[in-house]
Amino acid sequence: MSVCPPYAPFFGFAGVASAMTLSTVGAAFGTAKAGIGIAGLGAFKPELIMKSLIPVVMAGIIAVYGLVVSVLISGGIKPGDYSLFSGFVHLGAGLACGMTGLAAGYAIGLVGDSCVRAYVREQKVFVGMVLILIFAEVLGLYGLIVALIMNTSAIGGDKCPSQ
Amino acid sequence: SGEAFNVGRFLEETSPYAWAGTGIGLCIGLSVLGAGWGILVTGSSILGGGVRSPRITTKNLISIIFCEVVAIYGVIIGIVYSAKLQHVPENLLYTPHNYYTGYAIFWGGITVGICNLLCGIAVGITGSTAAIADAADPNLFVKILIVEVFGSIMGLFGLIVGLLMVGAAGDFTAAASVSPHVL
Repeated sequence: MSVCPPYAPFFGFAGVASAMTLSTVGAAFGTAKAGIGIAGLGAFKPELIMKSLIPVVMAGIIAVYGLVVSVLISGGIKPGDYSLFSGFVHLGAGLACGMTGLAAGYAIGLVGDSCVRAYVREQKVFVGMVLILIFAEVLGLYGLIVALIMNTSAIGGDKCPSQ
Repeated sequence: SGEAFNVGRFLEETSPYAWAGTGIGLCIGLSVLGAGWGILVTGSSILGGGVRSPRITTKNLISIIFCEVVAIYGVIIGIVYSAKLQHVPENLLYTPHNYYTGYAIFWGGITVGICNLLCGIAVGITGSTAAIADAADPNLFVKILIVEVFGSIMGLFGLIVGLLMVGAAGDFTAAASVSPHVL
């Protein structure tokens, strides 16, 4: 059992993939679901479309969180000099960012859809909508923070014995 | 009683070509699935709305093109990854660098494929609502197109991550001397 087995990058790259794909699931759901509500709103009050694009922008930000974590993790996976410790920590970081992005995107989609439909009827709900969306977005941010902390701890991991 | 499954041994004994080939296949397969799914969702709405408002049919082809683009991303990444598949004899294959390349292409292919799949479906759903809104009021189309643009950036992110993952992975190269299986 070696500190740096040749299969350690399997887990590191699994972390990169899960950060990107799971946050994209959340972002895609948020974009599509909120987009349906916005298009419906546009048929009645076209002048409100620009302000109601906020849920779509926030869902896009979730995808950016996933991109940032993926880029950071994949920058740390080097061929030949990669410990199993780093592999598992990178896998955990990717899962942390991805799962929270999935949850945040799902919340943003459902909240965005219902809130823009309410915004057509009553314009005063706008502030409440933005507040709820911020709370949903911050879930993804928590995952990003934890992923960044885990990534920095993987940098100072075991050194591989020279081959 | 029972069988012991050794994860590390499985990962070391599987040929890196198996990982790389599966990754490339999933990359192009899932990307095209996403593009096709998006096109079917958007196309049926455009044609349905075009019965009453034939003017929407030409302008809304842009939504179809947005969906098609994710298939192009899958083709690009598939070609880039395939360029790394050089032939190496079996007894010289199992080096740490070849393992790295195999895993990088596998997970890169899954990332690109799944991101493009989701992007295609999201752009398809949004394009469908854009077509229906356009049929109701022509001024709405450009505004709903903004939502589609936000949807299509996800495919681009997948492409970026896919290219970065194999950035440090070289082609499959033969080892300097015959290496035993590392068990």
